[in-house]
Amino acid sequence: MLRLMLREEFRVHTSYSGRLAFLAFPIIITVFSLAIAVTSERLFTYTPFSDAILLLHASVFLYGLSVGAFGFLGRQYLERTNGTRNYLVAMPGILPMRLRKTFLGMYVRDAIFYIALLLAPATIGLILSIPLTHFRITSIGVLFGTGLLSFLLGMSLSFFVSTVYMRNQMAFVICVGGITALFAAAGTTRTIPLSWILPGLAAHEHLSPFPIDLGAAAQPIVSGLGVIVALVAGAVFLVPEQFEPRATAVREELPRLVARLKRLQGYAPLLSKEFVDLQRSGTYAKMFFSFVTPLLFLSFTAWFVRYGLQVPVGFNTVFYAGMVGFFGVILYNWLNNVDATDYLATLPVSVPQVIRAKLISFLLLTTWVGVGFVGIIAWLNSDTRLLWLAIPIVLVTSVYIVVVTAYLTGLRTNSFLFDPGVLARFSVMSMLPDFGLTILSFTIDRDLRFASTGIAVVLAILAATTYMLLKGIDAKWRGTEFGE
Amino acid sequence: MTAIEASGLTKRYGSVDALEGIHIRVERGEFFGLFGPNGAGKTTMLRILTGQLKPTEGGARVLGIDVVLEPLRVKSVIGIVPEVESPPSYLTAYEYLYFVGQVRKIGGLEDRIARWFEFFDLDDARSSLCKDLSKGTRQKLMLAAAFLHEPALVFLDEPFINLDPIYQRKLREFLQEYVGGGGTVFMATHLLDIAEKLCDRVAVIRDGAIIATGTVDEIRGPESNLEAAFLRLVGA
Repeated sequence: MLRLMLREEFRVHTSYSGRLAFLAFPIIITVFSLAIAVTSERLFTYTPFSDAILLLHASVFLYGLSVGAFGFLGRQYLERTNGTRNYLVAMPGILPMRLRKTFLGMYVRDAIFYIALLLAPATIGLILSIPLTHFRITSIGVLFGTGLLSFLLGMSLSFFVSTVYMRNQMAFVICVGGITALFAAAGTTRTIPLSWILPGLAAHEHLSPFPIDLGAAAQPIVSGLGVIVALVAGAVFLVPEQFEPRATAVREELPRLVARLKRLQGYAPLLSKEFVDLQRSGTYAKMFFSFVTPLLFLSFTAWFVRYGLQVPVGFNTVFYAGMVGFFGVILYNWLNNVDATDYLATLPVSVPQVIRAKLISFLLLTTWVGVGFVGIIAWLNSDTRLLWLAIPIVLVTSVYIVVVTAYLTGLRTNSFLFDPGVLARFSVMSMLPDFGLTILSFTIDRDLRFASTGIAVVLAILAATTYMLLKGIDAKWRGTEFGE
Repeated sequence: MTAIEASGLTKRYGSVDALEGIHIRVERGEFFGLFGPNGAGKTTMLRILTGQLKPTEGGARVLGIDVVLEPLRVKSVIGIVPEVESPPSYLTAYEYLYFVGQVRKIGGLEDRIARWFEFFDLDDARSSLCKDLSKGTRQKLMLAAAFLHEPALVFLDEPFINLDPIYQRKLREFLQEYVGGGGTVFMATHLLDIAEKLCDRVAVIRDGAIIATGTVDEIRGPESNLEAAFLRLVGA
């Protein structure tokens, strides 16, 4: 079954971007990793090696956390909110199979899939850099092995917590609260070292290229593997075998919303449906956490660089404003993952109309989150003097990045971002202005007039590009179909 | 008056020819049936004629509107029941019909929704999310949505599947009334006994090509029923 599930996953991805384009993705990762390795000598002059390793394990752990929430996905698969598609995970409904087994299959499948797609190509990039960097192969092997441990821990934790959610939402809240407190204690207050909760990091600190102490390294490896096995076993145990959809009667809200939004004329029904979907599918909470988590990570990283690494970089409110705006892509992605759109093919609406409805709902729903975050971070850092500059940046960059994402990926953001061609264009269109704004934000304290003029120019270019792309959405997506 | 006119309709998916040079004409007020084995091209043809899919070659006009150039205009004047009953997961049964009514800008919406709720006895499902409804109820909802704006032409892809015998009969009678009142039906189905009772003319499609077309009597020929004729035509 595992082999079939892997084949299924491969076909799902290649159905979006084509076999060749999809296979190019790990090659891009390899090249990217090679480039970082080659420039690492310069990086290590600013960031001590041990800190770089810490950041790497934390990143890999968070990545694992983001791909392991099968408890949420499984319910979607089983309730058929994926249009005409059906997946092997839903087969226990009609075959003498156990749901627990298919969920375990999903875990193993995704572990293999993402290792092959990202971790292995990144490691190959490091190996290819050996003639230039003279990295030791054993150090790269250790990095891969311990990184894998951090990744699997993230995946397992996410898998476990999402299956807790399937059983009991209060228990889920308690779990998330406990885990957040643990990481807050390690990450921000440093009450406990991060290596206590990331066994991969703890093991790495006792292996090459650090002074080797196999005994000290073995202990976190064994305990880490034990925790992973326990979390996966717990998650599998918690998967309910009788996976019945929850039948819920709800209050009719659509007519009230349509009446309230009638000024938006033709978009009122589509937009109202978006809001109802987001509320009833629980996507508001997912959007909130998937937006806030990278923001917290960003705040932690900036704090760590400034105070932990003592690197004198001025992370001011304007810097945060640029970053926050660019996180909008995550929210647009969620808007496209709520429900299948097949039924819209039977109605007189076009794909560009639905894209525009999603863009309007993004503006109405999420702009205040970004502005609010920048306001809070400015207040926390006692840096409110730059809010007049930061707020326009959040607004313009938020709208820009979402329009870029909508233009490039239409209604299939999650899938098209796996297409290397789309990913490359997206990277250029997002990284260039973000890089420009970041550099300009660092120059504010030296020359405010220069920085604000530069920022105004960047924002004007972004606004003009946004307008052109908005106009272009119609031509690009007019001929496309709803659904698969 | 012509309701549907297609010429040279061809659809290719890579090297696979899903449809090959289809010519078809359906008059207004006709009940037209399309039969064919699985994978013959029925749904592809229906999706092209309803503006959901673009043909690789050829074209079609539905109620005088070009389906390639003006797919949205086509969808605004016709009703469609798709192959898969897939109303939006997070709307209630009532909200879905309300949504369809708003998108189609239908006047007197409440009365029309009430009429269809009564026709299909959907009151128990009124406040349930569509994802929690049975297949049959979802199918009823898709049928109600297709007829909500009282279109002059409907395209039905297996409309009787998932309905119990009571509602199969009720729908059959409604469709006969609808055609009697001047409406046009284009129906793809495997249920040949039902089609035999309802259709004025039928076409048989195999491997993407129309292999026979005519009245039910013409297609039946010397055979005792449409099923026997169909099996002979497709070489089963």
